[in-house]
Amino acid sequence: MRLILALFVALAAAIPAWAHHSFGATFDVNTPVTVTGVLTKVQWTNPHSHLYLDVKDKDGAVVAWMFEGYPSVVLSRTGWTRDQTIKIGDTLTVFGWRARDKSPFALGREVTLADGKRLFFGPPAGTGEGPSVAPGN
Amino acid sequence: MPRLTGFVVVIIGAWMSVLSASAQSTAASAPRTADGKIDLNGVYQASPLRGAWDPSQPGPPLSEQPSLTPAARQRAQELLNRRSIDDPTAICLPSAGPRMSGVILFPIQFVQTPGQVVIIYEYMNAVRIIPTDGRPHPADAEPTYQGDSVGRWEGDTLVVDINNFKEGNWLAAGVVSSDKLHITERYARVDKDQINYEAVIEDPVLLTKPWTIRRTLMLREGVRVREYVCAENNLDPGRYQEYLKNPSLFMRSPEQAAPPR
Repeated sequence: MRLILALFVALAAAIPAWAHHSFGATFDVNTPVTVTGVLTKVQWTNPHSHLYLDVKDKDGAVVAWMFEGYPSVVLSRTGWTRDQTIKIGDTLTVFGWRARDKSPFALGREVTLADGKRLFFGPPAGTGEGPSVAPGN
Repeated sequence: MPRLTGFVVVIIGAWMSVLSASAQSTAASAPRTADGKIDLNGVYQASPLRGAWDPSQPGPPLSEQPSLTPAARQRAQELLNRRSIDDPTAICLPSAGPRMSGVILFPIQFVQTPGQVVIIYEYMNAVRIIPTDGRPHPADAEPTYQGDSVGRWEGDTLVVDINNFKEGNWLAAGVVSSDKLHITERYARVDKDQINYEAVIEDPVLLTKPWTIRRTLMLREGVRVREYVCAENNLDPGRYQEYLKNPSLFMRSPEQAAPPR
């Protein structure tokens, strides 16, 4: 898995632009996160969609998480159908990378639906921030 | 997992092969319009693969790295250290053709009529109107984000000359143009499924020599261009203002960022 992620990150770094916002400004590739919770709200919007989940922490307290993903136009070609694929109250599992500020906010890469079906919701880690070293170095 | 590894390797290989494709390839099997020109009409995706819309593959790597002037390289490093938060697309602005044509998540539609080709990018809802009737660049053109395009047919290849760009165009991460930017694009539909795209980028302030980008645009039958209003729910500019109050939270550390040479 690490090899795959490294390949994707390396490729993303080489791409002129295939998504427009910097992953690394907001999210930390070193803090992958997977949570399961109940869907409370969906923003089916551009340039990013958002899922809001109520997630119980280890003490049983409910934490409201927000996951950011692809724009709605992209989701419509990625296997998602507005108001049909997911509904408020569904239990979802989301994998992604957490925000640098450690708030309950993450980029949502993949969503597992209640029936076990998995769909990409957002781009791979590293998208949009560019390489660490300027071209020509 | 080995299957996924194989898939990634195949994709990389496919991109490598198409990146070496020439924009002047023969077009014997490509469709033609009534006036005998190559017919570019259709909806395409930047991709090395024929067939259906494919959102999962990695995008095209740069076919050639830009050779930056020392000042441009230093600026690029500074911008990369800021993880590209200054990229104008973060505030929903469009960019020049070579970048717009490489955004794999969004379709591109060509509408060709006698004397004109219109390129509609779903990304940023951007449109380029390219006259092909022999007229020159207008004398009163204002600098714009996508520049002013005029086209001509060289055999079966559509050649587009673009000038009059606003300065500050991000052609790649941290690679930012001056107002001297000039681009020559070539579109060659080599068969029903494939357009070979080539862009030669010139900017004496940014580059020490012309920079050539090549990729393929693949026909995606049944895909439609949708409305993409980036300003609808763009939360990033507000976030970035907050991040800049504590830049160490997000900026690349000195260990991560090599100093420009």
